Amino acid sequence: MQSKFSNSAARITRLGRRGCDLMEALGRAGVFLFQSAIGLPSREGWRLWLHQMHFVGVLSIAIVLVSGLFIGMVLALQGYTILVDFGAEQALGQMVALSLLRELAPVVAALLFAGRAGSALTAEIGLMKATEQLTSMEMIGVDPLRRVVAPRLWAGFVSLPILTVGFSVVGIWGGYLVGVEWLGVFEGSYWSNMQANVTFINDIGNGMIKSAVFALVVTWIAVFQGYDLVPTSEGISRATTRTVVYSSLAVLGLDFVLTAIMFGGL
Amino acid sequence: MTDAPFIEIEDLYFSRGDHEIFRGVNMTIPRGKVTAIMGPSGTGKTTLLKLIGGQLTPESGRILIDGQDVHKLSRKALFTLRKRMGMLFQSGALFSDLDVFENVAFPLRVHTDLPDTMVRDLVLLKLQAVGLRGARHLTPAELSGGMARRVALARAVALDPELILYDEPFVGQDPISMGVLVQLIKRLNQALQLTSVVVSHDIKETLSIADYLYLIADGQVVAHGTPQTLDANQDPRVSQFIHGEPDGPVPFHYPAEAFYRDILGEAPATQIGS
Amino acid sequence: MKRSKTMEFGVGLFMVAGILGLVFLGLRVSGLTLSAPTQSFQLEANFANIGSLKPRARVTMAGVTVGRVEAIELDTQWFDARVVLSLDSELEGQLSKDSIASILTAGLLGEQYIGLSVGGDPEVLENGDTIRDTQSALVLEELIQQFVSNMASN
Repeated sequence: MQSKFSNSAARITRLGRRGCDLMEALGRAGVFLFQSAIGLPSREGWRLWLHQMHFVGVLSIAIVLVSGLFIGMVLALQGYTILVDFGAEQALGQMVALSLLRELAPVVAALLFAGRAGSALTAEIGLMKATEQLTSMEMIGVDPLRRVVAPRLWAGFVSLPILTVGFSVVGIWGGYLVGVEWLGVFEGSYWSNMQANVTFINDIGNGMIKSAVFALVVTWIAVFQGYDLVPTSEGISRATTRTVVYSSLAVLGLDFVLTAIMFGGL
Repeated sequence: MTDAPFIEIEDLYFSRGDHEIFRGVNMTIPRGKVTAIMGPSGTGKTTLLKLIGGQLTPESGRILIDGQDVHKLSRKALFTLRKRMGMLFQSGALFSDLDVFENVAFPLRVHTDLPDTMVRDLVLLKLQAVGLRGARHLTPAELSGGMARRVALARAVALDPELILYDEPFVGQDPISMGVLVQLIKRLNQALQLTSVVVSHDIKETLSIADYLYLIADGQVVAHGTPQTLDANQDPRVSQFIHGEPDGPVPFHYPAEAFYRDILGEAPATQIGS
Repeated sequence: MKRSKTMEFGVGLFMVAGILGLVFLGLRVSGLTLSAPTQSFQLEANFANIGSLKPRARVTMAGVTVGRVEAIELDTQWFDARVVLSLDSELEGQLSKDSIASILTAGLLGEQYIGLSVGGDPEVLENGDTIRDTQSALVLEELIQQFVSNMASN
């Protein structure tokens, strides 16, 4: 009896401790974001940022564009088979463009970015931590948050919206290829329907806001996981997995919240 | 030059989770000498260096470097103090995205506004001192462990610090690079009038360069003195470590229940439900 | 040093491509026009029911797009819908006073747009004039209701 009681008491204690750990980690991540984001850009910082733009942005172009092309093509194919039943296949352009701009481009680009760039950021910073590079930087008198973390954070924040634009453009072109060139939707109605129904502020603007939010969250999770990990090879592999899992969940969850605010009339 | 000790550690307590690492450590590290801190693995020697460098904060007690309490300094003052320190890490900790030359130049570029030609001269001078002037264009990945440590040493002395902390400089080195490192540490200390703190458990090499030794075990200083006095110390804990005996106060066996009982499979009745 | 130059070039290209992409989305996809608004003139038309006509919908003449719907608002005097059309300026002074504006539907369920057809009046519509003769949108429910009541009376 007594052991049962002490068992459940221990369970409650564990739960409480886990809650405290979670709060503590969130607080640490917040302070971490604040400390690394406020650094004033210097000439050196500019160079480091450029280097990271190459690493997280330019090197992610291929995967993002190829995925965008296929998703646009699939959207057109699927949309056509449904719309043609209602004789409304001229609305294909509008459907492809709106799905891409509002939802698919920000979300899918962010998920791909988490897998391609986020995990690489975590592993890279984690490796620097495991090989004591961060500690030695600190001992030389250079703040690793400014030198290592800040350029990566800003590069991610700038890159993902650009990649999202690319995703949309290529996706709309893919939809055009399938819809117009292959399935024979009239070219004029593909574009004019799109132009009549897509608004710059509401659709493109909101999509960009979503993308910027996702960029911040994904990069933040990635660099924080790298900075906060247990500096062993096992720790690095776990943190890399955590980056992808947490970023994906955060992106999808936030997408719902943002959509509800932007388009749900909240 | 004053005779006041460079580093004073007073009544230091530190623990990680439930594990107490230091329980009241007192040390004084003299200026311009090589002081070695020795002890079995897992006694927190690296932790001690991190405490001295201000990367960790003790629970109680204080550490004075040249009269300044490391853990009461502002972040800015701490970084200023760190410019006067160099640290050689166990793995070398060279920045993997920079080549050898840029690694050594890193502290100079960050902390000084010297023109490029002067940076070049200084870096080549430091690399010459460790014998790796010819390796300046290699990346850290292309260096052997011993070479990486020598580059790291050149980087640590790039700003001509007053204090160098060596974290396990001899671990995993072949006899030749071990000899090179011993020579380098000795020479640098004499040439630059440095204060050196060497953390190690390689007895022979450490004894050969140290002016003074501290032996820590179980979170406390168990013995200190010159190499000669420690060699003659009769305390069993000291002599076991200095002479490398396999069994003694530090037991060969990890704590376990009696061997017979374990092997006969008797359930240790007293353990359940307690 | 050379590698870092190509890297900088790549990043620059990346950012320019991003901006160009955004411009493409703005112009081609959302149909923002950079042309000055002076190249169009405005007409008004009142409809009893506009159905699901939306701002920015097409205005056509003989099937050719000649402008778009600028604004839709409720006329509180007559309680019908006032639609402001913005048309190509080359049509200014060309449309006769008795032109007809009707709301048409593209296909069975497609979007609604406005079709203009000219009459024979020698007087012409100028900027800001109102088209008197209009045909409202067909609302499916009303059609069915009419059909059913006709059947019943027969």
